[in-house]
Amino acid sequence: MEVIDRYVHAVIRRLPEGMREDIRKELHGLIEDMLEEQAAGPVPTPEEAEQVLLHLGHPAAMAAKYRGHERYLVGPQLFESYLSVIKVVMIAVIASLSVIFVVETALRPNEITDQFTSYITSIVSAASQGFVWVTVVFAMIEYGIRKKTPSEYGSMSWRPSDLPPIPDSRAEIKLSEPIAGIIFTVLFTIVLLSGAELLAIYTTASGELSIVPFINFDVLYRFWPFIVAFGVAGVGKEIYKMLVRQRTAGLLAYHIIFSVAGVIFAGFLLSEPGFWNPAFMEQLQATGIFIEAGNEFFEPVSRIWETVTGNLIYLIILITLIDIGSEVFKWLRLKKAGPITINIP
Amino acid sequence: MADVAETIQTILSELRRGTIIIGVLSQLEEAQYGYSLVTVLEDKGIPVDPGTLYPLLRRLEKQELLASSWDTNEARPRKYYVITPFGREVYAGLCLEWKALNEAMTKIMNSEEA
Repeated sequence: MEVIDRYVHAVIRRLPEGMREDIRKELHGLIEDMLEEQAAGPVPTPEEAEQVLLHLGHPAAMAAKYRGHERYLVGPQLFESYLSVIKVVMIAVIASLSVIFVVETALRPNEITDQFTSYITSIVSAASQGFVWVTVVFAMIEYGIRKKTPSEYGSMSWRPSDLPPIPDSRAEIKLSEPIAGIIFTVLFTIVLLSGAELLAIYTTASGELSIVPFINFDVLYRFWPFIVAFGVAGVGKEIYKMLVRQRTAGLLAYHIIFSVAGVIFAGFLLSEPGFWNPAFMEQLQATGIFIEAGNEFFEPVSRIWETVTGNLIYLIILITLIDIGSEVFKWLRLKKAGPITINIP
Repeated sequence: MADVAETIQTILSELRRGTIIIGVLSQLEEAQYGYSLVTVLEDKGIPVDPGTLYPLLRRLEKQELLASSWDTNEARPRKYYVITPFGREVYAGLCLEWKALNEAMTKIMNSEEA
């Protein structure tokens, strides 16, 4: 009977692939057995079939019993934080692309139509990227929580010492910190991905606007998957902060690993031949800036350019070390202060 | 005010959930398919919903208390479940626990009456 096939299909399409065939056969057998017993005549009527199906219950409820747990990509426990992060990411995406759009329009007002089109398409593509990656991060957290939660009949050993400590106000992270972190990470990622040509020297020395970019973006864009990966990992770190709202050893470890990986990536990127605009000095001279300012500046500027591009990585390493050091120091001070004690009179 | 009969039904179905497992294990010395088990249990005074029993059988199989095999010789292919040696041991242990529980509950109820 068709209605039976439809019922069975409605149940098994909600189940993992591997269970489907077995449960399909089993359910068919069950429904036919039930029909055979409950039917008045030798050939069951469609009404009788419907009665049996009604007795078995809604296909979704039936499938849930077979699965043993409810399925969520992002469950109710995380959904509120998920919505907040999506909002913050969307705002950051739109804000940073708008800034890029405004700057580009100010520089080249006669190309506004092209820029507007690319502004809109960038928003759509960056917003969907942001949406996908935030969802992926949350789905992974959800999966992790599911793994740790005992199933209905399974028992799980635990020790009272595993209980999370009572939140310590000194270790608390203000909500503004992860939100600012997300905005900064998204901004930085988007500028690297679509606004790098704006990192440049702007001059009107020759009478009209000339732009001399610092970076050779063809080389930079070759690294885009890494830039996206760092953006995702960075936002992931902020989401973690937002959920835990506490300085923890795990968060510190994540921060250190993320920073070190970032420095290593920056090292590769900056030492990539042709990463810096190779014709920077020539282009700068062509703008006529030295005629206006005096030719004696060419040598020192050239030397500054060489020094900065050659040594920027050391500055990055230094800043990262200071940052890691200060985080570790904060953590150690917190540990040294000892756990908060509650006096029971 | 809450309906007495309705409240009893809700609590009773919670109580039954665990006892169904004992009932299932007790009846599977010989292999049976799901629906025949429904009928047998019902005849013995343990009504169980097929929609509950079928997923339960799979879960007990996953816990290695039951083993299953498909019988495709008949017109309707059926999945037969039978208790495993491990399931038999667990069942014996559960029976002892159940009796102890029953004794304790009886005592409690009798002393309430007295």
